[in-house]
Amino acid sequence: MAKPRVSAVMKQGKLTPWLYLLPALIVMSFFIVYPMINTVALSFQNKDSTASAATTCRDTGPCWGIFENYRYALTAELDTTSLQSTWQSFWTSSYGNTLKWIAFMVSGTVILGLLIAVLVDRVKYEPLAKAIIFMPMAISFVGAGVIWKFMYSFGTGQVQIGLLNAIITGLGFDPVPFLSTVGLNTFMLIVVGVWMWTGFCMTVLSSALKSVPGELLEAARIDGASEIQVFFRIMLPIISPTVVVVITTMVINVLKLFDIVYVMTGGNFNTQVIANRMYTEMYKNFQTGRGTAIAVILILAIVPFIFMNIKRFMAQEAMR
Amino acid sequence: MKKQTLVILSVLMVFAFVLAACGPTATEPTEEMVETEEVVTSEIDCMGAQAGDEINMLYQWSGGEEENLNNILRPFVEACGVVINPESTRDQALLDTRVQAGTPPDITFWNVTQLTQYQDSLIPMTDLGVHEENYADYWKSIGTVDGVWLGLPVKADPKTLVWYSPAEFSAAGYDVPTTWDELDALVEQMVADGVVPWSLGMESGDATGWTGTDFIQDIMLVQQGPEYVMGIIDGTIPYNDPGVKAAWETYGKWAMSDMYTVGGAAGTVSIGFNDAILKVFSTPPEAMMVKQSGFAGGTVLETYADLVFGEGYGFFGVPGAQGLQGGSDWMMSFSDSDAVKALVAYLSSNLGGETWAQVGFDLTPNMGGASAYTDPALLKKAEILANATGFTPDIGDSIPGGFGSAEFAGITEYVNGGDLDSILDNLAEVQAEALAQ
Repeated sequence: MAKPRVSAVMKQGKLTPWLYLLPALIVMSFFIVYPMINTVALSFQNKDSTASAATTCRDTGPCWGIFENYRYALTAELDTTSLQSTWQSFWTSSYGNTLKWIAFMVSGTVILGLLIAVLVDRVKYEPLAKAIIFMPMAISFVGAGVIWKFMYSFGTGQVQIGLLNAIITGLGFDPVPFLSTVGLNTFMLIVVGVWMWTGFCMTVLSSALKSVPGELLEAARIDGASEIQVFFRIMLPIISPTVVVVITTMVINVLKLFDIVYVMTGGNFNTQVIANRMYTEMYKNFQTGRGTAIAVILILAIVPFIFMNIKRFMAQEAMR
Repeated sequence: MKKQTLVILSVLMVFAFVLAACGPTATEPTEEMVETEEVVTSEIDCMGAQAGDEINMLYQWSGGEEENLNNILRPFVEACGVVINPESTRDQALLDTRVQAGTPPDITFWNVTQLTQYQDSLIPMTDLGVHEENYADYWKSIGTVDGVWLGLPVKADPKTLVWYSPAEFSAAGYDVPTTWDELDALVEQMVADGVVPWSLGMESGDATGWTGTDFIQDIMLVQQGPEYVMGIIDGTIPYNDPGVKAAWETYGKWAMSDMYTVGGAAGTVSIGFNDAILKVFSTPPEAMMVKQSGFAGGTVLETYADLVFGEGYGFFGVPGAQGLQGGSDWMMSFSDSDAVKALVAYLSSNLGGETWAQVGFDLTPNMGGASAYTDPALLKKAEILANATGFTPDIGDSIPGGFGSAEFAGITEYVNGGDLDSILDNLAEVQAEALAQ
């Protein structure tokens, strides 16, 4: 058999694949790689990026040399006079609050989303119910913040314009300043986050549930498994890859969370979170070095979750 | 093709007609103007400036503000024939670049901090024929850097004001206090009468707290005086000084108790600053007084349009304040041309002050204009300004690098139950850090 003749143009050299990639690489390096490298570089400099961060050290107080901005980012919110005060101040710092957000918003959205997905699976008006739950996703964070600020509004006058306080005072109790009561307020903000994102978790988990083979469930029921057993022993293990993806996506979302806090409390009353603090340092205090140092810490915190997501994604691709 | 040209031509012609129709009415001087002009021309000293001389000018004002300035400069322009080339920008970098490049504008209207920044390039006011006698000593000293008077204060907007309802006051038999002790006694009297004296709500999104820090600065002006405030701004007085603490405590006593302010501590941190203003003028009023800047009058009228200044709403200066707090604009000059001299002479003259006051572009520190205001609120403010012995900028705005937002966060935390000493220590730290950089 004669060797098929391929024209020289059709042959791919080593260079050709790179040419195809070039546009994407250029865009990536301009908009992702360069800003990232620059951010890291800026985080080692002073507020207007004219000198090393080490020059901002003051004679009194601790100094981490070139890592001075990181010292500020990590320790400035802590009250280190005693072990107890350090522990307490950590839980009201942006880091402690972000951990609270992760713990309660992620579990809240995933558990509620899963519960609703399972429940609506059994009713006729499923699309309607899902549409209602999903609707807050269509509202911007800022819009949701404003809406809920009204919900929580604390009035002193003759009229309570906040729904919750109107109910509370209607029942004869004193109005509660939801957003300024330390301890309570972060959880009131988390409620807003859960309200917005439950729809997302529900939608993804619901579609995963639909892919659970009906025969399996039927077999289990015939064998006498209770509905709870069916859920925990059969459904959950089958959809667990999706649950993990939803959880990691939500964690990344929550780590970046900024808008709700910015709009509703501005980070006051011990509700600060990492992303809002970054904004404050960067655009209100014009402390570029400190702002970028916080940004780098945030990136480092997010990377493991992105890594997990990608690994999961690649494993799924390999299975196909 | 031909048709298109025709269309363009006709459009142009319509425009021309419209312009022609607008032109005369827009520039036609009103009768009032004509009158002032006649007086004016004879009084304005052109300092040898020739018609056609140019002044390049850079300022931050635009829109209505720019119109005000034009009205103020009109008599001068008409009398001397000087051509003004104005440029309006809020971008200070533009000014910085030009000064560094050696091509500054002849005149700029900017903030007081620029006097020190451009110290080496500015022409002293005394070389420009300024009418010194029209300015109080404290204004001159604010405008003086290293012994040289470099800037002419042209506009001031004091915010050391307490808004109240004169009608409610007279109904309850309260007198407007003239000293801090009288204010304190009045507050206690109101509490004894079962009414809430203050509406101190300061919620303002991520800037929550500024209403409170304004008030605290006013209290410092009462208890310590303007030099003390300037000492905080330049760092010679640390923010955890006992005098600062005393001011915070005076404020805190009122801001954290529901006997003294609407809603107590929770009300102070949760009530929006605009709502706080309105609470004094609602029926029945929730409080008797609100400490707020000049804009509060507008806020009141937006909601209660039928209130009359001096009856339904009004203000008095914070009693006992040894100086005022507020924003001010400064004219500085990079040129000593005859035209610039003529402008400095005009703006600092009695006539310049009067014109500024008549136009009503906030207040003029020029004493020549002290009684020329036509707006009753401005007239009242001018009275307060005339009795002042100092003028200080906002502390938070004047210290760079995050002190302002730390101050807001600090006061919010304090009112919400935080420990005052550690808050002030932290603020002193931020202050020292910001000023060291």
